[in-house]
Amino acid sequence: MDVSQYLEIFIDETKEHLQNLNDCILTLEQEPDNMDTVNEIFRAAHSLKGMAGTMGYKRMQKLTHDMENVFQEVRSGNKAVSAPLIDIVFDCLDALESYLDNIQNSADEGTDDNQAIIDRLNQILSGEEAADSTGGQEEAAQETEAGQKSEEGSGDAGKEKFLDVVLNEEEKKEFQDQIAKGLQIIGVTVYVEEGCLLKAARAFIVFKSVEEIGEIIKFSPSSNDIEDEKFDNYFSFFLAVKDTDNLEGTIEKITTTAKNVSEIADAFAAKIPESMYAAGIENPEEASNEASKDSASAKQGTAVSVQEKKKNGNAPAANNGNKPAKKNTGKQGSGKPVVSRTVRVDIEKLDALMNQVSELIIAKNSLVSISNVDGGGQSQGFHDQIEYLERITTNIHESVMKVRMVPIESVVNKYPRMIRDLTKKLDKKMELYMTGEDTELDRTVVDEIGDPLQHLLRNSADHGLEPNDVRVEKGKPEVGSIHLDAFQEGNNVIIEVSDDGNGIDTESVKNKAIERGIISEEQAEAMSQKEIIDLLFLPSFSMAKKITDVSGRGVGLDVVKSKIESLGGDVEVKSVLGEGSKFTIRLPLTLAIIQALMVTIRDEKYAIALGSIQTIEDVPKEDIKSVEAKEVIHLRGMVIPIIRMDKILDIPPKEEEDSNLTVVIVHKGENFAGLVIDQLIGQQEIVIKSLGKYIENNKIISGATILGDGEVALIIDVNALI
Amino acid sequence: MAANQIVESGTRQFIVVKIGAEQFGIDINYIDNIVRMQKITRIPKAQHYFKGVINLRGEVVPVMSIRLKMGLEDDEFTNVTRIIIVKIEPQEALGIIVDEVKEVVTLEQSEIERVVKDSREEKSSFINGIGKHNGELISLFDLNSIIVDNA
Repeated sequence: MDVSQYLEIFIDETKEHLQNLNDCILTLEQEPDNMDTVNEIFRAAHSLKGMAGTMGYKRMQKLTHDMENVFQEVRSGNKAVSAPLIDIVFDCLDALESYLDNIQNSADEGTDDNQAIIDRLNQILSGEEAADSTGGQEEAAQETEAGQKSEEGSGDAGKEKFLDVVLNEEEKKEFQDQIAKGLQIIGVTVYVEEGCLLKAARAFIVFKSVEEIGEIIKFSPSSNDIEDEKFDNYFSFFLAVKDTDNLEGTIEKITTTAKNVSEIADAFAAKIPESMYAAGIENPEEASNEASKDSASAKQGTAVSVQEKKKNGNAPAANNGNKPAKKNTGKQGSGKPVVSRTVRVDIEKLDALMNQVSELIIAKNSLVSISNVDGGGQSQGFHDQIEYLERITTNIHESVMKVRMVPIESVVNKYPRMIRDLTKKLDKKMELYMTGEDTELDRTVVDEIGDPLQHLLRNSADHGLEPNDVRVEKGKPEVGSIHLDAFQEGNNVIIEVSDDGNGIDTESVKNKAIERGIISEEQAEAMSQKEIIDLLFLPSFSMAKKITDVSGRGVGLDVVKSKIESLGGDVEVKSVLGEGSKFTIRLPLTLAIIQALMVTIRDEKYAIALGSIQTIEDVPKEDIKSVEAKEVIHLRGMVIPIIRMDKILDIPPKEEEDSNLTVVIVHKGENFAGLVIDQLIGQQEIVIKSLGKYIENNKIISGATILGDGEVALIIDVNALI
Repeated sequence: MAANQIVESGTRQFIVVKIGAEQFGIDINYIDNIVRMQKITRIPKAQHYFKGVINLRGEVVPVMSIRLKMGLEDDEFTNVTRIIIVKIEPQEALGIIVDEVKEVVTLEQSEIERVVKDSREEKSSFINGIGKHNGELISLFDLNSIIVDNA
């Protein structure tokens, strides 16, 4: 089967399952008795195994299978959740992730068998064998029991449906021939899971895999019926195998092989009693005797299945009843959202759509500007339609943007696991608290913020939080806490990473900077706290006292900063020595189209993102005061620095200053500034275009946009000014 | 490089432009478009040889003064001034202002003489060959060195 077309889906779904497993196991570590979680884990592991198997990733399948076995034990209560178990399972997940990485890169799972992990999983399991024989595992117990009984020619376990199969004379003959050839005939009954969609396919895979062990000489129902899915939840077949001393082993091998196929609930196999194929004996009677309590073992397969279903009411029903219940509670327990109907769309298609919407907005803006220029010339209807068009394009834009938005959850939900690992690695107790995982950002941004956030969290864990004993000495709670909070603020999304650790020691940063020759001592004296903290963002400025595995390899906060800036955002740090630090990442909600205020400075037009504008003020010239050689204004109790835009933008100053200045008050977080401009044009929706990579400027201009009349206006990056 | 792949026919085509009194050739494979002079939006704080950006059918394209880049006098815009839009890298268009566009010439490989770059002379560092056509000399631009920021 060519499965390459499913590769993407496989990768996506495997990622989801792995994430789910990670989450669940973290929960399990906290609440080892949470059976809902155990069931959820089992279910995820099982699906994962099935998917890997279908795609032909044998190693991945094997590993998941062994992991699933462990949880099977946990689920049936034979094995308690212990710290080593959790550790192994986490290692197992990591191994699976590396398989997935390989698959993503090369469509091949790689050659690492991860035998060490498998061995450890099996160790956990084997520690279990004793408990097993005490009859804890119902199914296994039943299986052995059934096996023994069938040897004696009795099938009262009732699960070995093959015993009810009626052979005709010809088949009996063939069976006898096989026996004569020195082969043994094993009867096998395989149960598929409830709700299995491709029963026939599963059956086929079972046949395929057991054929390595022996030859299938009879199907029940017939192979055609199986192919057409004309069977209930089980099917039987007879296998001719070599008669060896270790027949038990062979039988065992058959059942495990069958059970390894995904969506197979169970499999039973045993050597069939001679009476089944003994010539000349009236079969129904025999069979009914053999299956002792099976009073009405019928002549036809269908009848049998109905009968059997009733008869088996006890054992399998307990099983089957288990499953739906498990699913329900599993869902409630893990708080998994109800799955909404979705379509997977290639991001490139969305980008193309986005570009077209941009073009549409430019065209619309041209129309608007034409209608404004020609003024009263047109009819009222024309203006109405223009307005209508404007509304529609705005809505289309919003819809397209929304389509591209994804919750940051997909990125941040791997962090609890990371913090857990760091707890062990650094030997520091810490907790991660996250809020706002459902905050949405443009897909391209979400894809990129993972690393910077991870870096900040590691930073907090490694440098921020003090060792536990130090914390206790200081009277802080022993367990350090790290917070990751995301929320929307205007046109921005804010992500804060904070910890209650020691904060940034500005003195030692200062000394280090002097030591490294980054600043001189005089400079250091004059620097504000904030300026000193900003030094941390300089390339290769690592504060780690000792280089650890976790952080401090010289790739530091500068990487975080440049990454965030490349996404059009910025990073800010606040820190109080002894109390902790907080990194605030500000990211633009949308990347391509924004609402902007258009202004003129002399004859040049500029756009300022509306999201960063607080107010627009008309300030008399006299109100501008000078503080420390910087111009400021007092506005509603705040001192706001004034930025003369003409000066910043290299525009020759006016010969005579106006008596009133138009000042646009902009903000970045809690910092404000007043931009002095000449005139306001108005609010407009603008499409952000890049200036290309050839032009360098000092970041004041974040891009350009094309106005309705075809002219290019530049977008002022407020964040770079403040 | 696209230009070198046409060697099989042994000929290369160039658009001949005038900058000052000299004639320059731009490999036609790189040329996306030739547009008339239009309003250029100045970019503050950019490299001095960038005049700004223009709107080319909805795309913002940076425009470079090759004169300033080569250390010549500033451009004087006339009726025949043109902006040659080149694409040296995909998705990255660049406009180059020239005084005048003359013609398209086809040069045989034998008519092109390689030149050794002389770092002392700024102008020559953008030239990688001299073509001879109808008794006239055409300096052939090395576009890859033009986009390198050396200012």
